[in-house]
Amino acid sequence: MNADAHERARKLIALDGPEDLSDDQSSNAWLAAHLKTCASCRAFAENVGETIRGLRAIPIAAERSLVSTTQMRVRRRALELQRQRERRWLVSVSCTAVALCALLSTVALWRGFEWLGARAQLASSIWQVGFLVFCVMPALLVGILLLAKDKHLADHTGSYTG
Amino acid sequence: MNATDFYFESSMAQESTEIARGLRRRDPDLLDRLIERYQHRLFRYLMCLTGRRELAEDLFQETWIRVLERGHQFNDKYAFGTWLFAVARNLVIDHMRRKQPASLDGLLNDGEAAFDVPATGQASAFDTTLQREQNEHIAAGMQHLPAEYREALVLRFQEGMSLEEIASVARVPLGTVKSRIYRGLSALEPWVKGAAL
Repeated sequence: MNADAHERARKLIALDGPEDLSDDQSSNAWLAAHLKTCASCRAFAENVGETIRGLRAIPIAAERSLVSTTQMRVRRRALELQRQRERRWLVSVSCTAVALCALLSTVALWRGFEWLGARAQLASSIWQVGFLVFCVMPALLVGILLLAKDKHLADHTGSYTG
Repeated sequence: MNATDFYFESSMAQESTEIARGLRRRDPDLLDRLIERYQHRLFRYLMCLTGRRELAEDLFQETWIRVLERGHQFNDKYAFGTWLFAVARNLVIDHMRRKQPASLDGLLNDGEAAFDVPATGQASAFDTTLQREQNEHIAAGMQHLPAEYREALVLRFQEGMSLEEIASVARVPLGTVKSRIYRGLSALEPWVKGAAL
């Protein structure tokens, strides 16, 4: 009997277990015949059987407290994710609404400035500059106010430290 | 394929589809049931990979949080258990990488950690004691095996996974899985015989 036969038998035993052989009938028959004549492979099969039974019997189990803590953590995280999703939905709806309003009001203002320019018989470049200034004005005003506030705060803090 | 195989395969596929749908909805009731169902199997697997109860408990919780967050990635063509073990395995590898740049191969080889087998209570009968001793020998043998052999043995003989499923969890070719199982069992032989004790 050559070494390949032993190797083949041991692999068949190891991969499928000695009691739960593969579906391949010819391999099973060959293995059964081999085991009848080979004491070392028979011993290997017995050891593998013991090992597998031993592995299945190792008493490792999750504790009840671990399971309930995990369930609680998962529920809490699910709630957080739900809230995050709701917030994201709210923010995206608000952004869409603001963008739509800005678009509509820009069109309406453009038409308004065009109408006023025509009424006052102004050149189109003039009412267009007026439209630009009108659009930029709120941002400019806010910028100036913020700068003034910063300067005021800096002066105020400086009077305490100085 | 016979009628029984077909019945089991179609009911498993249906179950996977339901799980996938529930995970996409992040249904907490479904997750509760899954945690209950897979508690011991997942914990045993994590214990086998880490060898430390506290770490296995932390990773157990992290695995389920990851399942909740990435549930939409679960493909219902596969069994949920296979995906769950793959998620857990990735978390273990991430944890080990944070500690030191290493793969699963480096797990438990430092000799510090132990494959912790808890006491089973008051075993008084001779057979129970004998069996417990035998299990302890095997558990002791397991801690001397490289982590990838331990993983293959646990998935094959404790979890009853097919060789293909193990290959999918461990992301290695089928041939590698076969050789890990064979070498793992061969390496455990001395502990079963009691020669190495």
